[in-house]
Amino acid sequence: MLAKRLALRGIDIDPVFTGEDAIVKAKSQRYDVAILDVKMPGIGGIELERKLKELEPGMKIIFLTGHGSKTDYETGSINAKYYLAKPIQIDELITILQEVTG
Amino acid sequence: MNNTIDFKNNDDLAFFGKVNASISHELKNILAIISEAAGLLQDLGQKIELEMLKTCSQDIVEEIQRGFTTIKQMNMFSHSADDPIKKVNLVDVVDLIIALGEFLSFACKVRFDSVPEVAPMVSTCPFRLQNLIYQALVFAFESAGPDGQIRVAIHPQPNGCAHITFSGFGSNNARSFASDKTNKIAASIGVDIREAGDLKSFDLIVPENVEAGREH
Repeated sequence: MLAKRLALRGIDIDPVFTGEDAIVKAKSQRYDVAILDVKMPGIGGIELERKLKELEPGMKIIFLTGHGSKTDYETGSINAKYYLAKPIQIDELITILQEVTG
Repeated sequence: MNNTIDFKNNDDLAFFGKVNASISHELKNILAIISEAAGLLQDLGQKIELEMLKTCSQDIVEEIQRGFTTIKQMNMFSHSADDPIKKVNLVDVVDLIIALGEFLSFACKVRFDSVPEVAPMVSTCPFRLQNLIYQALVFAFESAGPDGQIRVAIHPQPNGCAHITFSGFGSNNARSFASDKTNKIAASIGVDIREAGDLKSFDLIVPENVEAGREH
């Protein structure tokens, strides 16, 4: 649904539902930004960030999280430069996307 | 008189706080999906197609149902602190803690197999037993890594006690579940922690009666 909302705003987006699928996509195409949940089926967001950065060091990562655990807290406040707490405001996400893509 | 509460070393309080934080995380996820579905409906306005309307409403219904389930689990967990000693169904306790454990951001898959036909009933401190099972799951998640699959099984014994077996850890992170903290929690409810020699699995041996376990 988030992907559809972004697409309605003219953003070219490839939604995937697992970290493994994200890696497959990132191997076949170059992406400017990845929007990741901290908790995802299979590979978690933190591990996925590391793998995506190996494939595309310039890729910007935006984390979405419920900010409810120590791991999420550390991700949001220390490691992740771009971080949105759920439920997100779509306009806030658009602003960050514009910022990271210059 | 010392009025200081040692929050950091209060295992029970730390456990209660951690579980409640993970439940709030799950509820925020549920609300986030409902919020996205409502936002999409708002974005589309009168241009919405029937199929999209059906998909969004179905998502909202499913998430509300998931929210009710989560709140029911939260309620069961909260009431586990009502009685210091109570007779509980071990399968229900393990089931609840697996569900709560899966809310953690670093949780991997858990398969609850070897569930006995007749669930063992044990007289114990439900809150402490939940704490110990939760610590076991967290340990298993950390040992198995994000791609792992933890297996949990309950094996009732002829003497009335029951073994809860945790297995499925990777071989790279062989370390012991038994620590000062887990041993202390286990001893308080008469539970034995028995680890396999290769540290790839361990059992929590839960006595039929907490007092019998302590004597043992």
